[in-house]
Amino acid sequence: MSVALQLLINGLIAGAIYALVASGFSLIYSTCKFVHFAHGAVIAFSAYILYFLFSVIGLNFGFSVVLAIAFASLLGYGMNIVYNKLRQRKVSSVILLIASFALLILIESLILLLFGADVKTIGYIKVAKGLEIFGAIITPLQIFIIVASFILLILLFYFMKKTKMGKAMRAVSDNKDVAEIVGISSEKIYSWSFIIGSAIAGIAAILISLEQNLEPMMGTSLMIKGFTGAIIGGIGSVPGAILGSLLLGFSENFGSWFLPSGYKDAIAFVILFLFLLFRPKGILGVKREGDKEK
Amino acid sequence: MIEAYFIHLLILIGIYLILAISLQLSIGFTGLFNLGHIAFFAIGAYVSALLALSGIPFLICFLFAGIFAMLFGFLISIPTAKLKGDYFALATLAFTFVVYTIILNWTSLTRGPLGLPGIPKPIIFGINFTSNFNFMILTAIIALVSYYIIKKIVTSPFGKALEATRDDELATRTLGKNTLKIKSISLAVSAFFAGIAGSVYASYITFIDPSSFTIMQLIPILCIVIIGGLASLKGTAIATVFLVLLPEPLRFIGFPSSVVGPARQIIYALILLLILIYKPKGFYGKVELE
Repeated sequence: MSVALQLLINGLIAGAIYALVASGFSLIYSTCKFVHFAHGAVIAFSAYILYFLFSVIGLNFGFSVVLAIAFASLLGYGMNIVYNKLRQRKVSSVILLIASFALLILIESLILLLFGADVKTIGYIKVAKGLEIFGAIITPLQIFIIVASFILLILLFYFMKKTKMGKAMRAVSDNKDVAEIVGISSEKIYSWSFIIGSAIAGIAAILISLEQNLEPMMGTSLMIKGFTGAIIGGIGSVPGAILGSLLLGFSENFGSWFLPSGYKDAIAFVILFLFLLFRPKGILGVKREGDKEK
Repeated sequence: MIEAYFIHLLILIGIYLILAISLQLSIGFTGLFNLGHIAFFAIGAYVSALLALSGIPFLICFLFAGIFAMLFGFLISIPTAKLKGDYFALATLAFTFVVYTIILNWTSLTRGPLGLPGIPKPIIFGINFTSNFNFMILTAIIALVSYYIIKKIVTSPFGKALEATRDDELATRTLGKNTLKIKSISLAVSAFFAGIAGSVYASYITFIDPSSFTIMQLIPILCIVIIGGLASLKGTAIATVFLVLLPEPLRFIGFPSSVVGPARQIIYALILLLILIYKPKGFYGKVELE
């Protein structure tokens, strides 16, 4: 029983982290309609910026966190400028995908160049003794991560439903041309989704860097998980992304019951592959415009 | 010393040429945005290395590397046949990750992260290719033959059918061509050449481990294909020479290898972005990236 509970808790922690990655990514996908793989690089770079500000320079932690999140937003905004140049030529989403892939490799290599290949730790929170709940162990930090992610995701949900900006984003996501007719500038909305989506990436980076070590390639693996979560739930739907990420977190951890733990990543890839082939719109997703021709 | 270095570069150019022209076959000529090329390369390298280590002659290892990769290319092409554009790209990307995870974790076969050392250099019909000069000749022959075969394929009527599928799949089907079959064959042939490139690579370096087959390795090849220009074999060949040589001066300026490695990737990624933005046709491309 306690093993199952432990796996459930581990799944919840993993799922909460994936959900943070997936929700920012999904927000960008919903308005811009292409796979922004470099989202993972935004997370990795902001985590390293936090490391640099807090552990190398020795700034106050709260101040470093704010700067790291601002940096994430700025980086996302900068990437949107690159995409914008491509969009002006009306390129297909494949080309934008290739460009985002190039950006991902570019940023990861830059991190490797600036900080080296060895792993880094932030070490803000001392390793605390885990609490025991019915024989399963969870650390206070992990509880904090789960709670913080859920508060953030609820705020994001509220933002999308109630605020003017959120509504404008959903309008562009739904039908760009009609949104423009009623006076919403889609270019502006693209920029704002990158700024907000990347700020969420920055927050994800901070929570992740408290829990895990930093390494230059962390962006790719996080992105695959977040992306898989988004695909499972329905790409472009923020609630779907959260649901899918939790499902992924659970299936990875329960899968390690049957498979050696090295195959944990393979579980995500196989799920991703199966969903892409058989249910590309995911559980909650709607059909994409391009799919209608088929 | 300097000779040995040039021979090394020529061998690298040969291997990259095989990889790039075969990727050009699927991306440029057939319009399949295949991001799984490194997986086929890895399958070829591991099949060849494992067979060679159990004492099987090079020619058989070499052929099996190609055939195995081709088989996987064919298998992947069936479920993905109906996927379009970015979904095809993502499914093949996921395939690359799956193959990487398997070679990393199937330790009883691949020795996982420890890699496979001591892969024997080829001996064909009593001719020994242990020296790098001989190996360069061998690589050059394989690369030229591959180039010739792919050139034959794309200029044949079948090649026209490939390009027609790329330009307008529906119209091609209306003309009675089975486009699903055409795409399958294209991907399988492309995978075959990636597989033999893997075999050449494994027997040249004599040591392979999973780190040679990460998604990072895709960037230089993709860069070559797009810079050379879609559907241009000549452009691909020129771009291969240019891009393999481009980061080499970094070594002479005296940067340590911990700088040269990431700097190489940064150069390739930047070039790829600039080309996508400012020269979408590449230098010799016949069709524009859409």
